[in-house]
Amino acid sequence: MLDLALLWETRELILQGLWNTVWICFLGCLVALSLGLVLAALRLSSPRLFGYPVACYVELCRGTPLLVLLFLLYYGGPSVGLRLDAEIAGVTGIGLYGAGYFAEIYRGGFKSIPKGQLEAARMLGISHWHALSRIQVPQMLRLIVPPGTNQLIILVKESALISIISVDDLTKNATTIVNQTFHVIEPYLAVALLYWMLIELIARGGYALEKHLANREPRPVTRQGESAHAHG
Amino acid sequence: MPTADAITTPATDSRPIRGEPIVEARGISKSFGALEVLSDIDFRLSNSEVVCVIGPSGSGKSTLLRCLAFLEPYDHGSVYIDGQLLGYEERGGMRVRARESRVDAVRAPVGMVFQHFHLWPHRTALENVTEALRLVNGLSRHHAEAEGMAMLERVGLAERAGHFPESLSGGQKQRVAIARALAMQPRVMFFDEPTSALDPELVGEVLDVMKRLAQDGMTMAIVTHEMGFAAKVADRVVFMDQGRIVESGAPETLFRHPKSDRLQQFLNTWRERHID
Repeated sequence: MLDLALLWETRELILQGLWNTVWICFLGCLVALSLGLVLAALRLSSPRLFGYPVACYVELCRGTPLLVLLFLLYYGGPSVGLRLDAEIAGVTGIGLYGAGYFAEIYRGGFKSIPKGQLEAARMLGISHWHALSRIQVPQMLRLIVPPGTNQLIILVKESALISIISVDDLTKNATTIVNQTFHVIEPYLAVALLYWMLIELIARGGYALEKHLANREPRPVTRQGESAHAHG
Repeated sequence: MPTADAITTPATDSRPIRGEPIVEARGISKSFGALEVLSDIDFRLSNSEVVCVIGPSGSGKSTLLRCLAFLEPYDHGSVYIDGQLLGYEERGGMRVRARESRVDAVRAPVGMVFQHFHLWPHRTALENVTEALRLVNGLSRHHAEAEGMAMLERVGLAERAGHFPESLSGGQKQRVAIARALAMQPRVMFFDEPTSALDPELVGEVLDVMKRLAQDGMTMAIVTHEMGFAAKVADRVVFMDQGRIVESGAPETLFRHPKSDRLQQFLNTWRERHID
């Protein structure tokens, strides 16, 4: 039978792990989201100067395991004078790794806006800046919410890897409890449930954002609407 | 510059002042890689003139219109809008690409309507029309909306103002696109196959709006496959094939007595398909 009392006794370790996972993921995802946007902007900007380096970065992120990146940062860092706390190495690793994916998600969002919409804007004299901020970005945001949510979920799950570079996250603390109590099922089940809740939260947030950004129609037109004459 | 009101009110003379070209192209050429899509085109569009450009697909008619609007940079020759060189500047005897702001300023008198409407899907019909009024002309929300509603009324869509493009029919979308262009009070309107993406039963409502614009004295260049419309509304029809203007003239002469074999052949094909 499951020993639920065990979980109560070890609650502090579990909660500490949860907290560490939450803040490291939060900061890591923040870095990934913002660095990804910068990378996508560089790749799409008109002087093609940055296109190739950014493309290389993206391929590198997608082509190497997060765990290897974490090892390089945490264990390899000191030999090039980069001494990071395990937590900071975790944030950096998740951020750098996620940025490669997010750069592609943003780029995909921008690319799927038909070019003609921008030509229409040009013909009306709308500046590049306004076309970007009023026409491209709002549509891009809508387009990236589903794949972006998905990517955030993947990052949170992959964050379990930071336990291997000695961060006291959910996974590591669960393992600690297992080692101390010789109960395997309860700690890991509890932790699985907590990851799931965390991810469910992100998923719901994604759906809510999607709904928030969607067109709500028809918008009532208050003035003049009823005086309109029909035309065949 | 005529105001929107001046266009709404039918001109006393149905065909006012002629003569000076608003748009003039001299010897323009354009290639995509090795493929020359326009070769040595001369084109003039005078005040209040309605010119329809016809021709088989791939003949370069859309590219011509896009070069006249500088959405495609032309390679050789010159395009003038109101006498000003479009897209390039002479600097020290050399021709260089003009800055974007300069291009915008020169083509400000031109409004454009596209085959696929290119409305902004995240904006309502009214917002599509008011966007440039607010961002470019700096109108307040209140003024822009009043102006926008007036434009939507002109195309018979005021009651659809709050709808997003996704819930409008193709014909309605194209009418909103026309209203959006008209809001900037253009002196010339370019139409790039405005009805080609529409279901047959929706073509009429768009052509009606265009016909009224023509009657109101708007200067128009229309790339179209609608021969009937061209015959009725155009002052001049231009027939293009393989990147060249093969023939041009009044619709009645051009359609009844084509001089070139190529146009004869084109018209025969068209008649065969529209025999019933």
